[in-house]
Amino acid sequence: MTLTVKEELIKRSPLRILEKSISGGLGKGNIGVLASRKGVGKTACLVHIATDKLLQNKPIIHVSYSSRVDYIITWYEDIFKEIAKKPKMKSALDTFDELIRNRVIMNFKQDGAKTEQVLRSLEAMIVHANFRAETVIVDGLDFAQAGPEDLRKFKDFAGRLGLEVWFSASLKKDDPLFDDRGIPFELADYLSVVDVLISLQHHGDHVHFSLVKDHDRLAPKDLRLKLDPTTLLIAKDVRARTR
Amino acid sequence: MSTDIARMRNIGISAHIDSGKTTLTERVLFYCKKIHKIHEVKGKDGVGATMDSMDLERERGITITSATTNVEWAEHSINIIDTPGHVDFTIEVERSLRVLDSAILVLCSVGGVQSQTITVNRQLRRYNVPFIAFVNKLDRVGANPFKVREQIADKLGHNAVLMQLPIGLESAFRGIIDLVTMKALYFDGPEGEDIRVEDIPAELAAEAAEKREEMLDAASMYSDELMEAVLEGRPTEALVRAAVRRGVVARKLVPVFVGSAYRNKGIQTLLDAVVHYLPNPSEVENRAIDLDQEGAEHVLTNDPATKTVALAFKLEDGAYGQLTYIRIYQGGLRKGDELVNTRSGQKIKVGRLVRMHADTMAEIQEAGSGDIVALFGVECASGDTFCSPGLNLAMTAIYVPEPVISLAIEPVDKNAADRMAKALGRFTKEDPTFRTHVDPESNETIIQGMGELHLDVYVERMKREYRAEVKTGMPQVAYREAIGQKVDFDYTHKKQTGGSGQYARVIGRLEPLAKGAYEFSNEVRGGRIPREFIPSCDKGFKAVMKKGQLIGFPVTGVRVVLTDGQYHPVDSSDIAFQTAAQGAFRQVYASAKPQILEPIMKVSVEGPTEFAGNVFATISQRRGTIVSSVEDGTFSRVDAEVPLSEMFGYSMVLRSLTQGKAEFTMEFLKYGRVPAYIAELLTEQHLEKKKKESQK
Repeated sequence: MTLTVKEELIKRSPLRILEKSISGGLGKGNIGVLASRKGVGKTACLVHIATDKLLQNKPIIHVSYSSRVDYIITWYEDIFKEIAKKPKMKSALDTFDELIRNRVIMNFKQDGAKTEQVLRSLEAMIVHANFRAETVIVDGLDFAQAGPEDLRKFKDFAGRLGLEVWFSASLKKDDPLFDDRGIPFELADYLSVVDVLISLQHHGDHVHFSLVKDHDRLAPKDLRLKLDPTTLLIAKDVRARTR
Repeated sequence: MSTDIARMRNIGISAHIDSGKTTLTERVLFYCKKIHKIHEVKGKDGVGATMDSMDLERERGITITSATTNVEWAEHSINIIDTPGHVDFTIEVERSLRVLDSAILVLCSVGGVQSQTITVNRQLRRYNVPFIAFVNKLDRVGANPFKVREQIADKLGHNAVLMQLPIGLESAFRGIIDLVTMKALYFDGPEGEDIRVEDIPAELAAEAAEKREEMLDAASMYSDELMEAVLEGRPTEALVRAAVRRGVVARKLVPVFVGSAYRNKGIQTLLDAVVHYLPNPSEVENRAIDLDQEGAEHVLTNDPATKTVALAFKLEDGAYGQLTYIRIYQGGLRKGDELVNTRSGQKIKVGRLVRMHADTMAEIQEAGSGDIVALFGVECASGDTFCSPGLNLAMTAIYVPEPVISLAIEPVDKNAADRMAKALGRFTKEDPTFRTHVDPESNETIIQGMGELHLDVYVERMKREYRAEVKTGMPQVAYREAIGQKVDFDYTHKKQTGGSGQYARVIGRLEPLAKGAYEFSNEVRGGRIPREFIPSCDKGFKAVMKKGQLIGFPVTGVRVVLTDGQYHPVDSSDIAFQTAAQGAFRQVYASAKPQILEPIMKVSVEGPTEFAGNVFATISQRRGTIVSSVEDGTFSRVDAEVPLSEMFGYSMVLRSLTQGKAEFTMEFLKYGRVPAYIAELLTEQHLEKKKKESQK
């Protein structure tokens, strides 16, 4: 019993459940995708994953294709505030300012930035600026516009620099969204490049996680996680366990 | 002279560096017949633009001090304050904004919304200043006013709407389509002074109709009358103008105008827009603090017949002696009037009253509410409020940031010393962010300010305007010291060697204080320390915190809690308790985990995307944290937090690294803890310096 409150927090994070379910984590050189309709909570999840790394003093790069950086900054502030609300957390956590020293946000224009350019800038940040991130979050890439070959470039890049890269994918087509294996029709062409695919869906008043692809396995699996609708944090899904 | 307040405008021209603001102002003066010849900023004719009245500004092509000038356009009296663009001088911008009623935000049609534009936008919001936007430099390669409008909407969050369309762009830029009158305007004559009105070129008719519809949609939100008229298909010019005006005054609509100041296109129409859409002084609510009623807010009336309230917002020592720029908020000024400076309580008599043009002036007999004029021979400081006798108001204090950098200066000879003293007296009065003092230990004169360039400019001005030649030392960052943890103290000061002795004992604790510099809390019960000596303790702690023991910089963020103590009926005194407090602090400071803090600057670097990688590297070499990098096609911006101590000479490094294609701005953000290895270095240097001094 020598764990600090912070270590305790990291150990008990529901993200450990996620890691366990996907054979210990996404892994270097791999691509993870969170897929859902717009507004279900992909960004919240990505920011929670990133914050979990930051709490472990691991640098992350947040790549975004939205028009404003201040929205993203607000996301981090909100997620951090929620985590800091837990008992005893306030004194144990470094200040938010110290935490985000390990975060860099890189923002690109959707229709302006070619994937090559994005990767060039990422490499400049990691290599020239010596910002040794091992996790990269990519939010808001338009998969339909980018195409599987772009995702392949990301994967090669991740392999070369030893990164794990989490993407969000917005599903835009009409229902049905998923085939009988739970794979989103829109992402079928990308499946060979994606190592971990998780879908998010509304289930009553909360958002529910399904593991669609886990590295080599294609087997739909309930992750027993949910997105807590009030805190927008990933949480254990108690109902799923008792079901 | 116009005295009708409805025909008055007080406007500022705000922009990013190099957006062509000074060129624009120059054209405005020309068309308003205030000057007879146009001079360019970095002019080949060696004269320089008229608004940059200081030599230095002419040489550097930047505008440092906001000169104000009055022009007439369409039977309206317009006071223009030319505001500086560089962040090092934001106090000037902020002071101007305080006295303005509205502004023109100038944007470059290529660069669009840049870091400085964002700063200026924030300032406009803070002071609630309505504005219109002018997209300049349409003749430049890469000009895109449509993209700039989008950026005003996306990046600044304004409801921006185009009021004009360009006819051609870049080298083919020929004229402007006015979407209100639906006419094409061409600017003929050698200086664009003759406006030729024609029908809209056929190839642009469809686009013009579409953009007009967008404009009408936006404007209708502020007028039911206009909405009805639009539905019936016959909106009149007057209805459109009234609706846009309402939107602008409420800060809900930003009409966007286009042109090229350098090519003399679109300036007259911009002046029309100032008259049509920007508020007159009576449409803006101004508040003052009532000094007789514990700071209750008092809304000023703008009524010229009531008692006078006016703000001295700028002092200038020019060719004509000391000038005080003053904005009248209610009442008026007449020669011979008596006014009270509510800060000092001093009475003054209004002597010569003038209306200023950049380099010349016109004597006037009186000025009414809303106007901006200048007074001669008035002793006051920037920010002082003048009222008619009987009123005791202060215009809201202007936010003044603490200086972050200091520089030792030394006059080269006795003559220079006298002139330097005169110059420093003037500068500190003009600019509250510029400070000076003599270091009691080294006996050096220290000047302090908001950045390297800020201090450079004052050193230059000393040489040029006051012929005071000075040698400068290395710029020095304003470090702070702070404590990292709570610590108890129990200290007895005793000196009883014959004669009257000294005795005082203080017990209590020091605590880190998250917000604020210093707090003193007295929890002594039962008269263990007599009441009259409590302030002595407070004073002692304050004094000892002026110089921390780590590196000799002020200690901040400390709460002192005094809980107990002892006194001697004969030997205790004010001095004894002050000494005890100082002794207590010195004794326990080392065990309170003392830390060194340094100013961290918010740095924004903008330039072509190809250099982004280099920029990242320069930031990380400087112990900086990259907060974000935004790439927008070929253009990119990197926002970072970098310690000020690492930023010396950055402009040179950046220039050589990017072939001069990138630029950066910086402003103070916060104080942050210095990493351990640097703290050690600083402490060593301090010890060495002390050793040397004691050997002297």
